[in-house]
Amino acid sequence: MRIEKCYFCSGPVYPGHGVMFVRNDCKSFRFCRSKCHKNFKKKRNPRKTRWTKAFRKASGKELTVDNALEFEKRRNIPVKYNRQLWDKTVEAMRKVEEIKRKRQAKFIMNRLKKGKQLEKEEAISEVKKNIHLIKAPHAGKAKQLEDKMVQKLQEDVDMGDDDI
Amino acid sequence: MALYNFKKIMVVPTAKDFIDITLSKTQRKTPTVVHKHYQIHRIRHFYMRKVKFTQQNYHDRLTQILTDFPKLDDIHPFYADLMNVLYDKDHYKLALGQINIAKNLIDNVAKDYVRLMKYGDSLYRCKQLKRAALGRMCTILKRQKSSLEYLEQVRQHLSRLPTIDPNTRTLLLCGYPNVGKSSFINKVTRADVDVQPYAFTTKSLFVGHMDYRYLRWQVVDTPGILDHPLEERNTIEMQAITALAHLRSAVLYVMDVSEQCGHTLQEQLELFNNIRPLFANKPLIIVANKCDVKKINELSEENQKIFADLSADGISVIETSTLTEEGVMQVKTEACDRLLANRVETKMKGKKVHDVLNRLHLAMPAKRDEKERPPFIPEGALMRKKAMEVDAPKRKLERDLEMELGDDYVLDLQKYWDLMNEDEKQDRIPEVWEGHNIADYIDPDIMKKLEDLEKEEELKERAGEYDSDDESEDEEMQEIRVLAKQIREKKQLLVIESKEKDIHGPRMPRTAAKVERKKLEKEMGNLGLDMTDKDESHYAQQARRSRSVTRKRKREASAPPTSKTRSQSASRPPRDQSGLRDAKMVKKTKKMMKNSQKGMNRQGKKGEADRHVFDLKPKHLLAGKRKSGTTDHR
Repeated sequence: MRIEKCYFCSGPVYPGHGVMFVRNDCKSFRFCRSKCHKNFKKKRNPRKTRWTKAFRKASGKELTVDNALEFEKRRNIPVKYNRQLWDKTVEAMRKVEEIKRKRQAKFIMNRLKKGKQLEKEEAISEVKKNIHLIKAPHAGKAKQLEDKMVQKLQEDVDMGDDDI
Repeated sequence: MALYNFKKIMVVPTAKDFIDITLSKTQRKTPTVVHKHYQIHRIRHFYMRKVKFTQQNYHDRLTQILTDFPKLDDIHPFYADLMNVLYDKDHYKLALGQINIAKNLIDNVAKDYVRLMKYGDSLYRCKQLKRAALGRMCTILKRQKSSLEYLEQVRQHLSRLPTIDPNTRTLLLCGYPNVGKSSFINKVTRADVDVQPYAFTTKSLFVGHMDYRYLRWQVVDTPGILDHPLEERNTIEMQAITALAHLRSAVLYVMDVSEQCGHTLQEQLELFNNIRPLFANKPLIIVANKCDVKKINELSEENQKIFADLSADGISVIETSTLTEEGVMQVKTEACDRLLANRVETKMKGKKVHDVLNRLHLAMPAKRDEKERPPFIPEGALMRKKAMEVDAPKRKLERDLEMELGDDYVLDLQKYWDLMNEDEKQDRIPEVWEGHNIADYIDPDIMKKLEDLEKEEELKERAGEYDSDDESEDEEMQEIRVLAKQIREKKQLLVIESKEKDIHGPRMPRTAAKVERKKLEKEMGNLGLDMTDKDESHYAQQARRSRSVTRKRKREASAPPTSKTRSQSASRPPRDQSGLRDAKMVKKTKKMMKNSQKGMNRQGKKGEADRHVFDLKPKHLLAGKRKSGTTDHR
């Protein structure tokens, strides 16, 4: 019993689900649902269909080269059953899964950092250009000016007093 | 070798079928249409063709029958004799002869009528001739009905005869009925012959095959023979006699020591002596069967004497029991050995041997030193050789286990696995964990790889890759963000407002409309300016002044415009020149205007606003079968 991968979207195909198509050149294609199957029949390239994993990996939106991803691989050398080895493998799987998730998340975060930078700059430019929509340029300055004037007058008066 | 052809004899149809087949074939395969007004040679040709076609068919089919059935003179005398016994040589030859005669007669009939037809002068005459010809041919065949039936039965029986190769190594079992011949063959070969308590259970010859010393051996089981002279023997017994007479084999004469077959030992001895002439030049063994019931030394004096006499004659007597299997192997080995020796002897006496012998030369290496170099036979080979001679007990099969346990039996193939630890064989192996296949992760080096990975991870963590970088932004940045948000909201509001205005008519610039004081003060107040106490401001005063002035004056006849003052329409440039700098721009503008009208004009629309559709559901787009294209759209 194996969980296969859908040829189109790279999602899991559980036993009892999906469709397998075998071509005349003996190549077999598994599909997880009719959406993928229909897309395949329309001859669409999964590497260009944006919602598939193949696209995401091909266009660098997800982590592709990493040591943690080398653990899950189809090997052609059969290994005889050995209880110890199987136990260790199951434990190792857990740990590897954890590390893999961390790394994938970090990769995506790094990719999105640039967006945050752009956001900042945009905010700054927005404020610079359109501040007049919410605040008049010399709002509050009138009062300041008045205060200044008052202060100056006061000073003059003081100066005048001093003179006399 | 005519052996295997017995199965390939074509089916012999019954007379009625034969006639039907041929006639319908004639009707189908020859042209059917002919008219009175055709030219006479054409009509003649038409009917002649039919006659000849029918004759040809009969001829072919009958010839095939004649060639398929074996000629008794051409096949091995054993088979010839067997067929004689089973089918009576005379009857057989007669039947085939009749068929031959029928064939010749049909040919003659056809020839005659074809000749006659040359003189047929009308369609009717030719047709009658053809009818007569076909009729006569069919009658000839109808008379062969019994021959054809007989031949069909012969064919069916012939194809079911066992394939006995008369030239290869054979063991022949003979004796009274019920002595144990069929049990013997069942034990020694894979044949499954009926064994029943009544006499003449075996009614014909049966063949089984066995291997000994890397050679194939035939074992032939015969029906039992009773003791009476040759002439009185029936068909079944004659088969056994034929086999004895013609097959060059080792003979195993089976006797029943316990006399359970219903005949005494004396009678069995009598029979033996009677058919002894048939055993000339053949290695003979006497099989004293059913020794589990009675052994030879338990017999009476006289009976023991019989056996002693036989042994004294030089014939080996071996006690066997097909029930307990003792002695069976011994018989087998001895019979095979003696037969081989016999065959080798005969070959040596023959003429062909010298050719071969002259070419053979056995080279013996000269002795180098006194060291003994005996031949080395590996143990496995020795054991296997021993197992061939003695019937080794078969190892316990799964099937035996299943029979033993009955309902409790469970097929457990995991017990045959070859693992390092024996006690892990019954483990239930996990296959899937959380959407991943465990088999994809199995690797003898997995622990090492995991260690490396964890080290890497640790390094990365120490280097600070996984620190969340939420740079705490300074206050200024936060303020800016808040302001930006407000700006965006304000923009959206403005857009919505302008959409809701719903202006009919031309859009006037802002300056054309009057701005109310209250509104102005409110707006500016929202933008943060202090608008209280603004009665003395300029705009308020202007507003008061302008009110007194902008009262409607009485309309007087307006003075006609002098040359100095131009009418407003003249002061403004005409619409197709306003806003255009130079001739190039004018040209471009004109072009754009024409371009934008192209679509409208081509579709025959009255103007921009003409959206009338003359044909809402055009038939050529919506009706009809889909020739090429998909379900996505029509």
